Amino acid sequence: MASINYAFKEISCKIVYYGPGLSGKTTNLQYVHQKIPAQTRGELISLATDQDRTLYFDFLPVNIGRIHGFSTKFQLYTVPGQVYYNATRKLVLRGVDGLVFVADSQKSKMDENIESYQNLVENLSEYGYNLDKITLVFQYNKRDLSPINSVEEIQKILNPKDLPYFEAVAVKGIGVFDTLKCISKLVLDQAKRKQLFPQRELAVKELQKAETGVSVSPVPQSEQISVAVGSSGSFDISAGQITSTITEEKPRPVIEEIIPEAEKTKVEGSLEIKLKVGEITKEEKMKIEEPPPREGPTIISWSASKRSKPKGFFLWRIFKNLFH
Amino acid sequence: MKQEDFVIYEEEIEEIEKALRRLIKDAQAKCVLLVDKDGHLITRQGFTQSLDSTALAALLAGSFASTREIARLVGEPEFSVLFHQGKKDHIHITLVGERTILAVVFDDRTTIGMVRLYAREASVNLDRILTSGSQGDHPSEDEKRTGLDSEFSASLETRLDDIFSERS
Repeated sequence: MASINYAFKEISCKIVYYGPGLSGKTTNLQYVHQKIPAQTRGELISLATDQDRTLYFDFLPVNIGRIHGFSTKFQLYTVPGQVYYNATRKLVLRGVDGLVFVADSQKSKMDENIESYQNLVENLSEYGYNLDKITLVFQYNKRDLSPINSVEEIQKILNPKDLPYFEAVAVKGIGVFDTLKCISKLVLDQAKRKQLFPQRELAVKELQKAETGVSVSPVPQSEQISVAVGSSGSFDISAGQITSTITEEKPRPVIEEIIPEAEKTKVEGSLEIKLKVGEITKEEKMKIEEPPPREGPTIISWSASKRSKPKGFFLWRIFKNLFH
Repeated sequence: MKQEDFVIYEEEIEEIEKALRRLIKDAQAKCVLLVDKDGHLITRQGFTQSLDSTALAALLAGSFASTREIARLVGEPEFSVLFHQGKKDHIHITLVGERTILAVVFDDRTTIGMVRLYAREASVNLDRILTSGSQGDHPSEDEKRTGLDSEFSASLETRLDDIFSERS
């Protein structure tokens, strides 16, 4: 995930070029490396075989300079496209902020595109990422060759959701910068949004202030936080999507989603929480008086079971409403 | 998404750098780098001028990631220490907590034993800083706003146009 360093005022995002073998991922990076001013980029590192096929990854750091005081950096990676190298390909995806799927437009390569796309979905899911939530753009490369599939055909098969796509001839540089510009903007917008509305911590903080006996603890190596309410059960929060762990026979409240109101109305510090027990859904709005807390790294350990009496706290109210 | 963004604040960095400087002194190392597992450099200390730290960070993270897979294949959860021995310079890599990697570059002025001893100590210390830092309330809200406010997008767009404009 994006790394934000307040000490050095630096934001660093990871963009990965994915796609089948020989679709032009490395070519994209080589072109960027050639064309952008030397002071904005570092060396292009290629971990490749003797035949110049990517073995592990290519890496190109790009520093676009200070934006509002923050030095903004992108780390561009490619994956090895060959099916054989899945083990290393998967590793490159770790911590990815944005993806460019480079598809080969040639008719004969369509199956490989599909296979690679499915492989991407699988590899992401192994990290617990979901393609719906990750920034993705498509690049249909090799438009100068023939016979090629029409953009409509490729769209129908690879990109039914109509995410941004670019036609490209990477060897000549056509479409390379359009793609990069689009993905960098989307990735930074996303980082900014997450930064301003750290919904997970808001929820945690509120839950900590909750009824006595509520304890909140993060689950290591995942963004889930398990929240134990008294001895009655637990539910897990993960940003935006909440799953439940029911530890007793009786169904327990599950926070279904947390929508930071701020995102919709620009009024910071209010949260909308939807609780669900069996068939009953309960929506609750709450105001957070203090400014949202900062978003911290995942290495966090919370322990909150202060016996501070809540002032009509929502959780308690909802529990009461639902069970009495 | 599985993990949150990795955010580091000034007070944490100061403490981290202090710990790293001490490690260099104690272990008589050439330089140390603290890298997150995604390959972003967090900070570095010592003689790093001649090093391309950005690339080094990405490669260290990559090498750590592949070693971890190797560990998994032989039934280990993780190899927590990695050591690369060269003719002159050597690198000792330790895992710090869940998300960061500490790399110590050293030469024959010191020994692997010394480095290992102090790196282990520093790793515990750094983990404490990173973990406790994230609990405290940081008064940097203002800074945060000025950093990434709504004008950010506009400036970004201009900048991206400048740099990534069609150069073909």
